[in-house]
Amino acid sequence: MRGIRVWSILMMVSLVLAPLAAAAGQASPPSDKAGVQAAAPPGAQQVKPAARQEAKPAAKPPAKKGEEKRTEEIVPAYSDIKQRSAVIVFYVWLWLSIAVLAYFLRLWIKEADRVYKAKYYEPEESPRKGNPMAAGVGE
Amino acid sequence: MKIDLKTFLAWFDDRLAVTPLVKYMTKKEVPQHEHSIWYYTGSSILLFLFIQIVTGIMLAFYYKPTLEGANASIARIMTELPLGWLVRSVHSWSATFMIAIVMVHMLSIMLTKSYRKPREVTWLTGMMLLVVSMVFGFTGYLLPWDDLSLSATKVGTNIPAAIPVVGRWVTQFLRGGDDVTGDTLTRFFLFHVCILPLVIFAILVVHILLVQKEGMSIPLKEEIAKKTVPALPFWPNFILREFIIWLVLLGTVLTVALLFAPSLGPSADLMAAAPEGVKPEWYFLFLFQTLKIFPANMGPVTGEFVAVVIIMVGIIGIFVVPFLDNKPETKKGRFFTYLTYFGVIYAIAFSIWSLL
Repeated sequence: MRGIRVWSILMMVSLVLAPLAAAAGQASPPSDKAGVQAAAPPGAQQVKPAARQEAKPAAKPPAKKGEEKRTEEIVPAYSDIKQRSAVIVFYVWLWLSIAVLAYFLRLWIKEADRVYKAKYYEPEESPRKGNPMAAGVGE
Repeated sequence: MKIDLKTFLAWFDDRLAVTPLVKYMTKKEVPQHEHSIWYYTGSSILLFLFIQIVTGIMLAFYYKPTLEGANASIARIMTELPLGWLVRSVHSWSATFMIAIVMVHMLSIMLTKSYRKPREVTWLTGMMLLVVSMVFGFTGYLLPWDDLSLSATKVGTNIPAAIPVVGRWVTQFLRGGDDVTGDTLTRFFLFHVCILPLVIFAILVVHILLVQKEGMSIPLKEEIAKKTVPALPFWPNFILREFIIWLVLLGTVLTVALLFAPSLGPSADLMAAAPEGVKPEWYFLFLFQTLKIFPANMGPVTGEFVAVVIIMVGIIGIFVVPFLDNKPETKKGRFFTYLTYFGVIYAIAFSIWSLL
């Protein structure tokens, strides 16, 4: 039971920390990112997260003061191939973590249900009543 | 003076009374029956609210609620900030998921008649939360400040004008003037990030306290038969099951947000004509279509006025349903069940019609 709990807690912590780590890896000043975007080959810039966005024009930086007003729709897009790879890896890892964590939680639930059905924590009916080895457990 | 962890925790426990709360959690029980699955919808709403808060704060760091800055700042979020488009997409999709689950939650309560005595006020606060969630969506829709959001807001804020006496004033209040302008944008932003969060938290606290006070309802037939329904401890048996559901929902909303990220149109032009195919968010579609089917004039009054009155009567009716359906085990109760089915079919049919 303790092992399951430890695993579940470790997975939860990792689920919270991984996006932060991914964000830290991605983090760079906006101006740098814009530079990367401008320097990236056209193919890399037009990588899109969804199939429905295929027909739409590629992302463009917003118009600055004095520039011509933007008339095109901005479509969500990865800034470069590195970001795209990071997102794909993150999502694969996310679903794997969910599957593993759900497995451990399921074990924990089974154990909790078994303990409840055995009335383990009810003083009068507990199977540990009179067992000196179990004294103080769960109290 | 030596301070160990035990002393430190005891100090907090002494002041914050954590032990009685933990004891309450371990004593709290959740009934187990054929409709138990619906109990999980309540906590799922809280999960999406949490996602909304986190992503909303991230977006608010860069969003500028001005005529010149609104659209450009979102364009910047989407193109310059690392994964900004994904954060915006998660915010948008979690709002959709949240409202969908709030609707499912309310519908399950209507069909299981869980609003019956003594839970009438719990129902009222739940309905208030649904309305506030929808207002959240309505105010958030304008913030990208593109042609579609501007036109939809013009249509939406014009609806209250059909109400006699106060209607025009309500429209002016919402818009901050006679028309949708930069003042409306600032006003909607203020509602979206300041006033509505305060309102939703105030109502949510009352709602959760009422749910704790009255406990979870059991099915009507078991209550009439005075049967003892088997129960499950809230901690850890029920909450662990909830964790699994939260994880799956979290994965689903992140995946949907990645695959169907929303785009951003050009900045709205206040002088331009409304674009074709202006539509509100999906949860307003059936109301939008209801307004459209009424003719311009119906005798001495406008068709819009009649539609608004019918919609308002419907909304008030849903609010007071626990008081109208006060004998749910009788024929009257069955009538309200059929009325609920009719309402669901009507909303789905009119939403689809609106999209055609």
